Amino acid sequence: MTKKHLHAIHITQDKCIGCVHCMAACPSKAIRLRDGKAKIIDELCIDCAECLRSCPYDAIHTHTTSFDALSAFDYKVAIPSTVLYGQFGTAVLPNEILSALRRIGFDEVYDLSSICELNCAATEEYLNEHPRPRPFITSTCPVVVRLIQRRYPALCGQILPIEPPREIAAKILRTILPKSLGVPSDKIGIIHITPCSAKMVSINSPATLAKSFLDGAISVRDIYPQILAALRKNEEDALMRHLFPETLFSGIGMGWSLSGGETRGIKNHRAVAVSGIQDTMRVLDQVESGLLQDIDLLECTVCPDGCVGGPLEVENRFLAKSRILELVAVAGEHAVVDQRDASRLYHKNFLSFDHPAPPVESHPLDGDPAKAIRMAKRREKILAGLPKKDCGVCGAPDCRTLADDIVRGHARLDDCPFVTKEKR
Amino acid sequence: MAGSVVFRQEFAVKGGDFAKAGAVACRIKELLKELGLDMQTVRRAAIASYEAEMNIIMYAWEGLMKLAVSPRQVRITVDDKGPGIPDIDLAMTEGYSTATQEMRELGFGAGMGLPNIKKNADRLHIKSNVGRGTHLEIIIHANGHQP
Repeated sequence: MTKKHLHAIHITQDKCIGCVHCMAACPSKAIRLRDGKAKIIDELCIDCAECLRSCPYDAIHTHTTSFDALSAFDYKVAIPSTVLYGQFGTAVLPNEILSALRRIGFDEVYDLSSICELNCAATEEYLNEHPRPRPFITSTCPVVVRLIQRRYPALCGQILPIEPPREIAAKILRTILPKSLGVPSDKIGIIHITPCSAKMVSINSPATLAKSFLDGAISVRDIYPQILAALRKNEEDALMRHLFPETLFSGIGMGWSLSGGETRGIKNHRAVAVSGIQDTMRVLDQVESGLLQDIDLLECTVCPDGCVGGPLEVENRFLAKSRILELVAVAGEHAVVDQRDASRLYHKNFLSFDHPAPPVESHPLDGDPAKAIRMAKRREKILAGLPKKDCGVCGAPDCRTLADDIVRGHARLDDCPFVTKEKR
Repeated sequence: MAGSVVFRQEFAVKGGDFAKAGAVACRIKELLKELGLDMQTVRRAAIASYEAEMNIIMYAWEGLMKLAVSPRQVRITVDDKGPGIPDIDLAMTEGYSTATQEMRELGFGAGMGLPNIKKNADRLHIKSNVGRGTHLEIIIHANGHQP
């Protein structure tokens, strides 16, 4: 993905047959069929990847970083999402997976569970120091941040201004590695490995940072075959990792990729976890209506069951979840982060946003309310004459959206096959 | 609102329909965003209409919410058929509630409904007929249009 891509998702025109699956699945009604192909409306897309999940023809692809692109860096660092630990069945330990990443070409690999724990500690401090507003909403899921900026702009101030673990980890490495290695910062590539296409968007156009500390995101799906091959080849290495584990995993951070994983480490505040795009929108609607003020922290992830349900993972999410739960059980409440370090970094604002997520202008019918009201009245009239079958043949996901497109000048009444049939 | 451009829409609300709690308030909020009203006006209207909708669901048999939007103001009128409010001043007191134990267990009925509407409205009129129903008129001025 280069800078010119606003989104991590694109439709491969040759493969798209113009069915209506993606259009019906899109929660922000950002897809239309034009000339028999699906088109994404950039301003409306929130990168949730529901379209990718629903496409029966493999016509929706993502712009994530390719492994080959890493050759631009002299020193390559991987920080894999903890989702990766759930992808290889019950016999493979996280330490083996980290070791396999080194063997396929990364100079160093760092576990994120400890940074997740660090994030939890900072979150507790922030909530202690800021009794209002409530609830705060975590920023780990980049789609949630984008959703709030566009659909719930009044809630921008309720996004908890602590960077997610992937950015914190990259920031720490970016600060320390150039000095310790003697390699210029721009020659060190820090790469996230993720089941999520939206991470790429948060790297290319971060909502709360001047610049992301990450250089790219490789999808679990893309790198899986290489890791698997490396795991198979080196039985001796596996034995070594079993007997001499080199990374200590945080019990508090290990389950971070499961829904409720972020809130599990929050002990002194009331925290609630929500997952799935529809439920997330339902709950954010409630927050916008002034509800849930008795909750301190709201964890929202738009993928089902949390990041473990990310669109670019390989293992079926239920098995991955089960494996991660095993790892969480083994790690228990094991803490690896010194609370004094956490507190020091927090008070230096090292873990904070550069700036709050700004509201992104919504798309009213017109900037002038008087004109918008006239258009809305016209839209109601048009809608009254549409069949309300929401068939999608017109190229819009439902009749209401067609009426909306018509008043905005993007569609015509005779795009509706039922209206034209009656006219004839 | 006479003379100016006004968008009107009506929403029926059924008493006891907790499954749809908040649905009308959501639609009102979406509409106001599409009409290009500012963020704070939308949020105040969202909170006020949510509370009004919940009052029908919790206490009345049925009700009708009427939305009228002009570039300057949002007006939401609510008419319900229900038990009415015997003492409006008391009902306007924060924390006063006639909610049943069941409703409280669901997290409703904290006695903040009417006070919350008042807090978010620029004007609020209440008329109630005990045994017949309640009429609310909620007026919220769009930002920059304070009278």
